[in-house]
Amino acid sequence: MDFDFSDEQYLLRDTFREMLRRECTPKHVRAMWDDSSGRSPQRWAKLVELGVTGLTIPEEHGGSGMTEVDLVLLLEEAGRALLPEALLEHTAVGAPLLARAGTAAQKQEWLSRLASGAATVTVGLHGSPFVADATADLVILEQDGELHALTQERLTLIPQRSVDGARRLFSVTAETGDDTRMSSSAEHRQWAFDHAAAATATELVGVAGALLDMTVAYVSQREQFGRRVGSFQAVQHKLAETLLVVESARSAVYYAAYALANDLPDASIATSVAKAYATDAERKANTEALQLHGGIGFTWEHDLHLWLKRGKALELQYGDADWHRRQISDWIYATKS
Amino acid sequence: MDFELSPEDAAFRDEVRSWLADHREQIAAVRRHRWEDGGDSFEMYRVWERTLFEAGLGAVHWPKTYGGRDATLAQQAILTDEYIRADGPERINRLGLGLLGPTLMVYGTEEQRAAHLAPILRCDEIWCQGFSEPDAGSDLASLRTRGVRDGDDYVINGQKIWTSLGRFGDWIFCLVRTDTEVPKHKGITFILIDMHSAGVEVRPLVQINGEKRFAEVFFTDVHVPVSNVVGEVNDGWRVAMTTLGFERGTGLGSPAAFNRLLDQVIDLSRRQPRYDGVAADDPDVRRRVAQAYIDTRVFELNVQRTLTQLSKGAELGSEASLTKLYWSEMETRIEELAVDVLGPRGELAPSAPEAVRDGEWFNEYLYARASMIYAGTSEVQKNIIAQRVLGLPRES
Repeated sequence: MDFDFSDEQYLLRDTFREMLRRECTPKHVRAMWDDSSGRSPQRWAKLVELGVTGLTIPEEHGGSGMTEVDLVLLLEEAGRALLPEALLEHTAVGAPLLARAGTAAQKQEWLSRLASGAATVTVGLHGSPFVADATADLVILEQDGELHALTQERLTLIPQRSVDGARRLFSVTAETGDDTRMSSSAEHRQWAFDHAAAATATELVGVAGALLDMTVAYVSQREQFGRRVGSFQAVQHKLAETLLVVESARSAVYYAAYALANDLPDASIATSVAKAYATDAERKANTEALQLHGGIGFTWEHDLHLWLKRGKALELQYGDADWHRRQISDWIYATKS
Repeated sequence: MDFELSPEDAAFRDEVRSWLADHREQIAAVRRHRWEDGGDSFEMYRVWERTLFEAGLGAVHWPKTYGGRDATLAQQAILTDEYIRADGPERINRLGLGLLGPTLMVYGTEEQRAAHLAPILRCDEIWCQGFSEPDAGSDLASLRTRGVRDGDDYVINGQKIWTSLGRFGDWIFCLVRTDTEVPKHKGITFILIDMHSAGVEVRPLVQINGEKRFAEVFFTDVHVPVSNVVGEVNDGWRVAMTTLGFERGTGLGSPAAFNRLLDQVIDLSRRQPRYDGVAADDPDVRRRVAQAYIDTRVFELNVQRTLTQLSKGAELGSEASLTKLYWSEMETRIEELAVDVLGPRGELAPSAPEAVRDGEWFNEYLYARASMIYAGTSEVQKNIIAQRVLGLPRES
């Protein structure tokens, strides 16, 4: 048993983190709030350079054929840095879904361009009324139990502004047809949903980790009553509880990635465990972060709200904690003797 | 990342599993007794410890040199897992095997190891832990039991409390104050005391559930040879921290125990009547069962991550507090759920005709509450996490 990552996986994470440290600061994120596209071609080029766009695409289609376990640490970093670009939709779900469920023609047409970053893909799955980054070159939509791969001329988009100004959401109506249909087995649809939910859980862990670190740093220097706020036991206990759940959420999302990468029978349940736990953990970090920052955290000027809003948004996507608990209890009472 | 057992670990698991299966009847016979009833009942547990030792399963985590098996952490976890699944009897010498033995391997003299390790293995010596005092609980370092040098002896006076197995103990490892002139952490010595010595008096404490599993121990002019000091004189705090590290680690919180508990609660919820149906029909019960599943599953994953880190040479430091805080609070939530699932039957005491499992659920629920107090309260664990893991300031 080895519940850890390889040196190569850590190295990739470190390289990615270093790129984000330079290209995805709070200032960069705020710039996206005010940008009409909300996306930076320069940063996309950096993602391409690191091979992130083709990470999960098979080698014969120009990708590097890596797994969910290779990707999970990058998703955590993306959450931590509030990466605006659609790593989740493109790399974690859309591209590998097309590789699994696309027709030969669809794969031929798109996969190598998705791998090279020349084209982008996003997904709109059942239960999600809006599609993030629906201006992508290719939109995979789940509609009436079918998966369709659609280009922009088949779509009508209505922007839906998010409280997180870096997110780009759209209502989408599509003209589907035989030529847009992908393989739509229940397994493929479940695969897509599990990957989206697990990746969202992982980004939540990144957001929660950032909120915790910022808050620890803040209470360690802020003084009131002639002493540092972080020396008060009431404050220390909140942060100790937060660390416990954030660290535990890490275990949950790492295992979900492993279960998905190996197509294990418990992959869907592991995903529900991860999404429910990570959602609650982030909610805890979110709550305590604002509470312990106090008034300054409630200002537009302070960067805290960038994380508070991203976290809140992701809590609600691909099943909230209660929804996933329901999947788990239904499974328990249907199967466990 | 790989969750498969290695061939060696799989072989170890098979060995343990088949040995436990071969001893099913003996296990059941021991389990019909409660060691706290003393006499022959206690002896059944002692004999069982010897049986385990003779099978090479008594202290697999100990080095071969001392009669163990040099088992890896993964193998220790496998053994605990299988032992719990087989409903194995409580390990009455866990303080000797789990705490004192390993402490002696780090800080003990050759003579101390020679004198005690083999008797612990054979269960010839039952060991107790003498740390807490009436006025030194969470603030352990303020302990007042005195050790005064008198020639080749220390003379011990004072009182220890919450001493598990106190009525049956042969030996007790104690923290005593040997210097009152220095800051409180610096005047403490870790010393081994023969409980059969003159001046040692044990008084059983009756617990909240009526059982007598722990005791108070009084020392009046008890003479203990200086050679029984473990580590340096006045350096006992450091020794004790090592001991507590063994206690708060993964050993006490076994994922298999909680998985088993959850399965029992699920089973209970399917059978317990609630209004016109069963508890499992209630959406709130289902929600809490799902959360309990999530909590037990994540705990198991946390333990596997920690085991991996330890197997790569990392030290289990203050992070052990995270494990203790997690499992004790989880255990309480699950036992609370069980009592809630019982509904109005939850309050029935042993021997009440309609008591489920003869009232054992309520008893377990009380023990879960104790788990948030012993081995460092949840509040103490949070202080440790905040100050030593997160690095928050300690000013007051």
